Amino acid sequence: MDLLKWFEVRGKSLFYISYSLHRITGLILVLYLVMHLSYLTSLRFGEEIYESFIATTVTPTFLIFDILLVLVGVYHGVNGLRLILHEFGLAYDVRRPILYLSYFLVLVLWLYASYKLYVFIVGV
Amino acid sequence: MRIRNDILIVGAGIAGMRAAIAAAEVSRELSIAILAKTYPIRCHSVCAEGGTAAVMREGDSFDLHAWDTIKGSDFLADQDAVEFFVREMPKEILRLDNWGCPWSRTEDGKIAQRPFGGHSFNRTVFAADRTGFHEVHTLYERMISYPNIVRFDEYFMTSLIIENDEVKGITAIDLRSGEIVLFEAKAVIMATGGAGRLFGFTTYSHQVTGDGLAVAYRAGVPLKDMEFFQFHPTGLIPSGILMTEACRGEGGYLKNKDGQRFMERYAPEKMELAPRDVVSRSMWTEIIEGRGFDSPYGPYIALDLTHLGEDRINERLPMIRDAAIKFAGVDPVEEPIPVRPVAHYTMGGIHANMYCETPIRGLYAAGEAACVSVHGANRLGSNSTAECLVFGRVAGERAAEYAMNKSYYPCTKAIEEEEKRIASLFKEKGDESAYQIKAKLNQTMDKNLWIFRDENGLIEAVKKIKELKERFKNVSITDKSKSFNTDLIFTIEVGYMLDLAEIVAIGALNRRESRGAHYRIDYPKRDDVNWLKHTLAYYTKDGPRFDYIPVTITKWEPVERRY
Amino acid sequence: MLKVVGMENKDKSNMGRDVIFRIKRFDGEKSYWSDFVVPAQKGMTVLEGLYYIKGTYDGSLSFRASCRMGICGSCAMKINDKPRLACETQILQLNSSKIKIEPLDNFRVLKDLITDFEGFFAKHEAVKPYLIRKDDNYAEPVELIQKPEELHAYYDFTLCIKCGACFSVCPAAATRDDYLGPAAMAAAYRFNIDTRDEGRDERMFMVCSDVGVWRCHFAAECSEVCPKNIEPAKAIQKLRFQAAVHMIKKALKRW
Repeated sequence: MDLLKWFEVRGKSLFYISYSLHRITGLILVLYLVMHLSYLTSLRFGEEIYESFIATTVTPTFLIFDILLVLVGVYHGVNGLRLILHEFGLAYDVRRPILYLSYFLVLVLWLYASYKLYVFIVGV
Repeated sequence: MRIRNDILIVGAGIAGMRAAIAAAEVSRELSIAILAKTYPIRCHSVCAEGGTAAVMREGDSFDLHAWDTIKGSDFLADQDAVEFFVREMPKEILRLDNWGCPWSRTEDGKIAQRPFGGHSFNRTVFAADRTGFHEVHTLYERMISYPNIVRFDEYFMTSLIIENDEVKGITAIDLRSGEIVLFEAKAVIMATGGAGRLFGFTTYSHQVTGDGLAVAYRAGVPLKDMEFFQFHPTGLIPSGILMTEACRGEGGYLKNKDGQRFMERYAPEKMELAPRDVVSRSMWTEIIEGRGFDSPYGPYIALDLTHLGEDRINERLPMIRDAAIKFAGVDPVEEPIPVRPVAHYTMGGIHANMYCETPIRGLYAAGEAACVSVHGANRLGSNSTAECLVFGRVAGERAAEYAMNKSYYPCTKAIEEEEKRIASLFKEKGDESAYQIKAKLNQTMDKNLWIFRDENGLIEAVKKIKELKERFKNVSITDKSKSFNTDLIFTIEVGYMLDLAEIVAIGALNRRESRGAHYRIDYPKRDDVNWLKHTLAYYTKDGPRFDYIPVTITKWEPVERRY
Repeated sequence: MLKVVGMENKDKSNMGRDVIFRIKRFDGEKSYWSDFVVPAQKGMTVLEGLYYIKGTYDGSLSFRASCRMGICGSCAMKINDKPRLACETQILQLNSSKIKIEPLDNFRVLKDLITDFEGFFAKHEAVKPYLIRKDDNYAEPVELIQKPEELHAYYDFTLCIKCGACFSVCPAAATRDDYLGPAAMAAAYRFNIDTRDEGRDERMFMVCSDVGVWRCHFAAECSEVCPKNIEPAKAIQKLRFQAAVHMIKKALKRW
């Protein structure tokens, strides 16, 4: 089980790096999901505890974590769509343009989502 | 350790694998072992490029193919063997087709054939320009489907065991562990290939060091016609990588410094598609007389494919284009390729008849390692892969029949003897380097046993080789480890090559005539009265003892060979 | 060392320089690095450099090599972090004064640059990489018709030299020993689309498994390093589709 191979990117192409990032972002999302569910179900301990969680985390200080999380999620989603396309045996010959396009999409979607988050939490 | 099988095949190239398949088809009960010093698909047969000749279509005939082969051999071929060979060939092509070989096709889906040197009909079946590669992989893939064929990969043969004129088995080093293993078998097939690495400028892979030939010779089996080495006209410089004859078959030209298609002066009818010995001699003459191009890697002749067009080159000669770009920095679509005659094929080999039987009971030989002789003094292009397929099959079938009708008798040889012999190679407190000895051997062969030979050069060669054999007694081996001791293997290979070089040199010195690929400046004519015979070399501890046997003539009396 | 006719009169003036070969060695117990200086010429390949080192400095340097023309697949190794065929790699074209040479990843090292290929070949055998036909007539074979277009469809995938480069960079192969690997699956695909073949169902057993096609997640590094530009990643994705169809058909049949 040589998971360290994900980090040996010297001499590898962007395709390989995308594979590694897809796995790392996937792990992060799984961990976040567990955290998020336990966070939300804190409601069963009473309304005050839930409200205090919300008050601590939906704040400008936590904004940076939210923005990073969005990056992780958008990356995993867009890259995932790219993989689904290719794994049906489609568009292999244009895989390089599609790779660059997916990174571009990640960037655009992330910037837009970050802006929306910023506006929601900090205000205009 | 002792391992016992019914049949042992040494060498896993086209001939060896075809023999294994043939034996397995005779009976699923036989235990067949195939052993080689590299994995089967790393064999030298994968380097074969041009094609495999077979009579398949209207307008061609077995007699014509036989005549082409016999005339090409300068009448040294045994005609009964040739007649047998050409008749067995077409089925082999079809079998390979059924086993998955990606033969190149004509527009209507039939197997295509291309013109080739020395053939008077376009009968060379091909798979792009990687025919040997595809044949090897097809045979390998078919071979793994038989449960009774066992592979012993990366075992290096060190001796052949013969007792009472009967073969008993071989000893080999298991490269992975370094242990000596005794392989016992009822029948042994030698399919170990030629000995091209005797020369420095050669198309051969690094591993082709004549192991089977030397080991059989040392065990008392005679080697036949060893002085005949084929020099292929078009070897890329400086690597020696083969530029297939198909380049000329598809229409390529050979040009000298003045831009002339000089073959017109030497073979006006066939031009570039004359047999290889004729073309090589012509090219070498042009070079000696100063009409070759100059380069930091020596003189060369231009192989011009530029007029064929990119499409045809990509379709028919893709690997040639790739190799020329990668190894010489030249794109054949734009520029001519720099080539020079290069050592390419060993016509000689273990003395075998057309049933692949050698004088030793139970020992068979097939492929380039054998000399049947089908190619005589010069081989036609695309006949070698053909020979390997046909005689691989014959050897497999014969060995299988022999093994089925024979009861097993253990051999008396002890492994310890062989272990001691190999260990003694280490104890030499010597100062000679096997690498330097090989370099000197290559130099000597390239200089004195090349396309044009003469008495003085040959005498010098014999003397040099004997010197090198003396020096070899003091060779030291750096690597003392057991596993994958490539240093030890290299040293043993150099020992084999020195033995074979001696046979080649003395045989060439004795043969006072010019025939096929063996050309003596001092005896430039073919001498059918005194020399229409095969050379046999037997091992003695003071060097080879020579004998001669007649050539079998059936239909075709020798005539003047003109193209 | 290789002495080529005519090499004596080559002009050294601007055709070469000294390059350091940094080679990862292994003696059966521990691995270590060895440095050697190789006088590289224009056109000299890494393989020629290795032979030079073996003949001049250290005869115990061990590596596999045979054809020196990129067709036997013996000499695949990591050169400056990327798997390449040593015989096809020109030293001076690497543009560095130090060349790092290591054995292939994902293979067990046996000695120096020689790795264990037994598993690799076993995986290839496991996908039944041979033509399967009902009318297998050994004694009297018949010519099979195949149009040039049909040949072109699969021809590129027949060029695999089994060098192991694809397997060495595959991250799926790194995390699981029994993953079939790109080369074996490209071979399976090559036979599936050969019009002369009738054995697709037999072959799919190994391929449609969790050590087969489902383990690939399109890192596509195999296609980047293949020295013959075969695109094993393409073969696997196409094979995936065939595998999915096969499994659906099997499920429906049972139902």
